[in-house]
Amino acid sequence: MRFFGFLLLSAATLVAQPKAIDWGQQQAEILRHFRALVQIDTTNPPGNETKAVEYLKKVLEDEGIPTQTFALDPNRTNLVARLKGNGSKRPLLIMAHTDTVGVQREKWPVDPFGAVLKDGYVWGRGTTDDKDKLVAVLMSMLLIKRSGAVLDRDLIFLAESGEEADPTGVGIRFMADNHFDQIDAEFALSEGPGATMVNGRVATVQITTTEKIPRRVRLVANGTSGHGSIPRLDDAVTHLSGAVQRVGTWQTPMRLNDTTRTYFEKLAAISSPEKAARYNDLLNPQRTAAAQRYLAEFEPIHNSMLRTSVVPTMLKAGIGPNVIPSEAEASIDIRTLPDEDIPQFMAQMTKVIGDPAVKIEPLYATRPAAPPSGLDTEMYHALEHAANRIYPGSTTLPTMLTASTDMAQLRAKGIQSYGIGPALSSDDFANHAWHSDVERIPEASLYKFVEFTWNAVNEVAVRK
Amino acid sequence: MLKKLILTALCTSGAFAQTPAIDWDQQKAEILRHYRALVQLDTSNPPGNETRVVEYLKKVLEDEGIPTKTFALDPKRANIVARLKGNGSKKPLLILAHSDVVGVQREKWPVDPFGAVLKDGYIWGRGTRDDKPILAANLMVMLLLKRGNVPLDRDVIFLSEASEEADTTGVGINYMLAQHFDDVDAEFSITEGGGATLEGNKVTIVNIGTAEKVPARIRLIANGTSGHGSIPRLDNAVTHLTAAVEKVGTWETPMRLNDTTRSYFEKLATISSPEDAARYNSLLNPKTAPAAERYLAEHDPSRYSMLRTSIVPTMLKAGIGPNVIPSEAEATIDVRALPDENVPQFFAEMTKLIGDPAVKIAPLPIAHPPSPPSSVNTEMYRILEQVSKKMYPGVTVLPTMTTGSSDKAQLRAKGMLSYGIGPYASEADTAQYGAHGDVERLLESSLYNFVEFDWNVVTGVAAKK
Repeated sequence: MRFFGFLLLSAATLVAQPKAIDWGQQQAEILRHFRALVQIDTTNPPGNETKAVEYLKKVLEDEGIPTQTFALDPNRTNLVARLKGNGSKRPLLIMAHTDTVGVQREKWPVDPFGAVLKDGYVWGRGTTDDKDKLVAVLMSMLLIKRSGAVLDRDLIFLAESGEEADPTGVGIRFMADNHFDQIDAEFALSEGPGATMVNGRVATVQITTTEKIPRRVRLVANGTSGHGSIPRLDDAVTHLSGAVQRVGTWQTPMRLNDTTRTYFEKLAAISSPEKAARYNDLLNPQRTAAAQRYLAEFEPIHNSMLRTSVVPTMLKAGIGPNVIPSEAEASIDIRTLPDEDIPQFMAQMTKVIGDPAVKIEPLYATRPAAPPSGLDTEMYHALEHAANRIYPGSTTLPTMLTASTDMAQLRAKGIQSYGIGPALSSDDFANHAWHSDVERIPEASLYKFVEFTWNAVNEVAVRK
Repeated sequence: MLKKLILTALCTSGAFAQTPAIDWDQQKAEILRHYRALVQLDTSNPPGNETRVVEYLKKVLEDEGIPTKTFALDPKRANIVARLKGNGSKKPLLILAHSDVVGVQREKWPVDPFGAVLKDGYIWGRGTRDDKPILAANLMVMLLLKRGNVPLDRDVIFLSEASEEADTTGVGINYMLAQHFDDVDAEFSITEGGGATLEGNKVTIVNIGTAEKVPARIRLIANGTSGHGSIPRLDNAVTHLTAAVEKVGTWETPMRLNDTTRSYFEKLATISSPEDAARYNSLLNPKTAPAAERYLAEHDPSRYSMLRTSIVPTMLKAGIGPNVIPSEAEATIDVRALPDENVPQFFAEMTKLIGDPAVKIAPLPIAHPPSPPSSVNTEMYRILEQVSKKMYPGVTVLPTMTTGSSDKAQLRAKGMLSYGIGPYASEADTAQYGAHGDVERLLESSLYNFVEFDWNVVTGVAAKK
């Protein structure tokens, strides 16, 4: 309690001075909320995010922060809390999703909903996606409220349901379509890949400013059915295979945007001479082809940042081994650049396929197209400052996410949205991060990430 | 019709002195009764339940004083053998038919598929073409031989075998040949795998199956790194697999004629329109063959399949979710090899064509072994030809290589000369209501005529001269 009194004092006198918080003192509370949230099983489907909302509601209201809940489905509630500012600037939305993907229990060395502490990690489903962000934005609300700071803008907290899969539209779509006035803001912070640790030191901090747009399609080939002993020129399986092969090896044009151009420039600045040369070569017309080929083979995620990607993922055809089926189909996962002209792209793909027996059927588009968020905004600068402060010597990289998040819906509504995350080693990224068989977060990274988030929020929202 | 039948019977008895004349009109009721009873026994395979048919046949044969033996690896899936002894001067003749049928999609049938309904001059039902007319005909031939006390130069062996349509557990021909070969060993055999073409009310072509292609199914399996659908990978298993499938699916394997197919196209040319005839003849000339092949590929794919080993992609399977790159993708390819194909060498060529170490060829178990064509220079084939010409004046007899496969492959592999026969039907009827069709039916007149054909052939080759 004495500590809080001190904090209140310092916040009132030394506005926007993050040093005022003794972060060592916050660890117990951070860990308590984090473990409690991980222990609430919100596997989606079915979600049951209301369980997490009940916890958050109690924590916030006990602190005197009023909340509002919004539910299309009573089991899948969204929660909004708002700290009022003086209105001189438009609001900042800080959000996280409450649901998680499922688990294969046999792959877990510990209870996936136990939030077990072991070897310096907190283990469990949701520890990196997205309950780490959830606790970071929760703690930011609590700390700012306790500080009594005057805010230049409203600070809006949103815990949203159904991010991992939202076929019924209970999460961001429900909020954006029906309660947008509750979450409308100038800026938003949400999930992103975060920071990378090399030898225990944070080397890069990625801030996602844009993301690719999923535009999945099915390819469907039709032909004459018949007996397997009699070859037919219009065999649907052969025609489909030809089409899948052509789209799967199609090198779509490379196109950089502000985010990816800056990303590769900055990455070059901190890379080995060989790698740096390659990243710089991307912009050199004479050398770009070789650099692109290298990335396609050895750095596929960087290749995906260069272009709209076309990835065949599923094939389905056949009635029996000796029957030519009249139909064959493939699923193609397409992730377009944010500025892609989709109808024109599909027209080009039709040309690449070049076979009237094969039709392209677009699947339901889950994410709207949206422009990248700016690199020269108060929010982006605040994130850069926070990164420099919390992770000294690190490089901040604006990043285009090749996957997609609920920020697509926010950006489409005009909110400048940025994705952030805790620091992980590349091994933890590869094997223990989002959606992996076994998910875990270093306890120390969790605390640092809360501090990082609070710093950025504080700089943008608290009156200077 | 009646007059013609008596005349035919007379002719037949004239040709083969010791064979009694049959008044075929008098046989219709019994033929129809047995045939309908057999169709009405549901022997859809799986599960088969062919023992139902065996029980029926056993009773009919034994009531007539013909001893039978049943052989069953699975009690529900019996085979039955009956033998009429000859004087031993020649080796036996095996007449066989399978007792199982393929399944039905009931909603596609205008009548009960196991009703053997008589309607519009047809008998409708599953098995009415494949294979119960042959089963009924072989049964009638046995009964008539016995009743007529026909002296035989060779044993006539009747076999009703289980599970021809799919014999994953080896209860049918594989079991009989492996365990009870002595009971069915013969010089010649006749069974399904031929037929006759009805044009208007005239039979113009009789196909005698003398060879068949060898099924050599494979799976193509591609392996790569699994990953997220947002990140393209050069080793994507789906892309590698489809590239291989496209290559093999459009591969034009070399054309190669054998005695059967050469004779088939030559004879076919003599009865075809000038345009078709020119095309069939041009197949025999390497310079002109390619254009004819292209035409057949597009317009006459079953004849195209007689020219070469065929490669037909039929199934594709890959995927965990729309946004996950799977580590494995696989395709099933139906390969039908020419009877003389060197299959391992063929697969080696295919591997070269695919040219991708990420894609492996995995041969599937072969249901039918490679088998040499049965010669057209045999007593059996000559009798088949003679009977055809006698019963259908002006007909052309075509030795045929079937592109599908049958249990003749096993018989031929054991050294039996085996010939495929079948009842007449119009091309349209065969296309729409043939073997394995959604709806199956046979002209009633064709059934009676086929029993007579079968009788003439069996007595021609087995009756004492």
